[in-house]
Amino acid sequence: MKSGPAPANFPVSTETKSILLVEDNEDDVFIMRRVMQKARINLPLHVAGHGAEALDYLTGKGKYANRTEYPLPSVIFLDLKMPYLDGFEVLKRMRGIPGVDQIPVIVLTSSPEQRDRETAELLGARGFRVKPPTGDMIGEVLQSVCGLSDFCA
Amino acid sequence: MDPQPELTKQATQPPPASHLHLFDRSSPQKELAQCNRAVEDAHRLAAIVESSDDAIIAKDLNGIIMNWNRAAERIFGYAAEEVIGKPVTILMPPERENEEPGILRRIRSGERVDHYETVRRRKDGTLLDISLTVSPIRNAEGQIVGASKIARDITERKRADRELREMRDELARANEDLERRVEERTASLTEAIAQMEEFSYSVSHDLRAPVRAMHAYAQALIEDYGERLDEEGRDFLQRILRGSSRMDRLIQDVLVYSRLARADLHFSQINLDRLVMEIVQNYPDIQPPKVQVDVAQPLLGVVGHEPSLVQAVSNLLGNAAKFVAPGTTPHIRVSTERRGRLVRLWVEDNGIGIKREHQSRLFGMFQRVHADRRYEGTGIGLAIVRKAAERMGGRVGVESDGISGSRFWLELPAVD
Repeated sequence: MKSGPAPANFPVSTETKSILLVEDNEDDVFIMRRVMQKARINLPLHVAGHGAEALDYLTGKGKYANRTEYPLPSVIFLDLKMPYLDGFEVLKRMRGIPGVDQIPVIVLTSSPEQRDRETAELLGARGFRVKPPTGDMIGEVLQSVCGLSDFCA
Repeated sequence: MDPQPELTKQATQPPPASHLHLFDRSSPQKELAQCNRAVEDAHRLAAIVESSDDAIIAKDLNGIIMNWNRAAERIFGYAAEEVIGKPVTILMPPERENEEPGILRRIRSGERVDHYETVRRRKDGTLLDISLTVSPIRNAEGQIVGASKIARDITERKRADRELREMRDELARANEDLERRVEERTASLTEAIAQMEEFSYSVSHDLRAPVRAMHAYAQALIEDYGERLDEEGRDFLQRILRGSSRMDRLIQDVLVYSRLARADLHFSQINLDRLVMEIVQNYPDIQPPKVQVDVAQPLLGVVGHEPSLVQAVSNLLGNAAKFVAPGTTPHIRVSTERRGRLVRLWVEDNGIGIKREHQSRLFGMFQRVHADRRYEGTGIGLAIVRKAAERMGGRVGVESDGISGSRFWLELPAVD
């Protein structure tokens, strides 16, 4: 795979607020959708199934060049343990991409491993949360990390 | 310098005439008395030489053997008549013959050779280690005419030295071997620990995911389809929910335990008043009106690893609040007591107590002592408390009559 920084195709949209979930486990995607629905968090949720896809999304590669359909997210929920490219690698590569390096990333993982927490922080993650996500957790993140308050339907 | 009788097997004979010139010849009687005394002296000296354990040999300045005592016969295996008149080099192994000129040179210039350790050869060809002292022999005029050699057989000592050296070498080799084995063990232990860490990491990530999914779908089923199920169907789903919750708690407790068992703990002084207060603030289940917690302030300070202690005290308080008879408001009393260099933290409750026969296995892994469904737990909580205490140099225990409450205690090193 081609590595190294590549510029984002479009600047972060100030109009379209959305969430990008980087998660390889379909069940965890289901839980996220369900929790957002229950908590009436009315923001589009885009999903990248693994780290490489997340980078494609963020750099606007292929179909992701369509920023109307795939806008740059306001916040990213990032799983750590994924095939091909894990969450830490995604964090590392995001840092060199102008426009993308500003998007807040919340690590959403299965265990409160201290070393993971430290590594995530070192690589610029803005938060570290343990699965399963809850409505309160997502609401709190949107408010404190993204300054969003009008996300509820 | 005093005249010396020659040291010789023939020294039992009267001394040679050359020594007689010092005698007073003024009167034949005196001369005779002096002569007799000299003969006695010579005899005595000869006896000393003969009875010596060390070989005593006299040689002339050309290295020719002139006298040879009994110890020399014993040590070197030659009778006196075999060696007298022969060069002293017959006692030297070929590679040592070059020592002789040096020794003779020093003797000629009046020097002694003291305790010189070397090797000599017996008549039968075997070698022996000796310590050699060679001194010049002077005649009546003070001229150096030969040398006396005192040779001590140090074969035994040398052998002991050699054995000692060999044992030292062997010990050093055994030490190296031991060090190598310790290194190997350490390496394999380090690897085992790394594998263990990988394992628990995978447990936390991979085992929790399907449990999470099970719980989420059962929840969704109840929420979205619950009304279409009958009572029994909904009960089954509730059981799946309970089972998956319990499974997740078990996994998390096992993880807490394994993390506690392997973590590097950094110790600090801990204010127990603050720690207990923060725990109570963080857990609604141990706050009024559900639970009454009395803290006998001020609690004594302890030294420990704060996150581990928070874990342990939380578990004790949680248990105290949980194991009460139905309808009873849990009443927990927290206090401290100085016991030598330790501080004992007491957590007393008004709960259902623990029968004496269960108390010994209470702190083991996966041990539950209450069959009642109301008191369901993972059976790991108190094992975590014990592990935490042990890692911090302390211990845990319980006192209970099995009826009226339990008094759990946790001992840790005191501050100071």
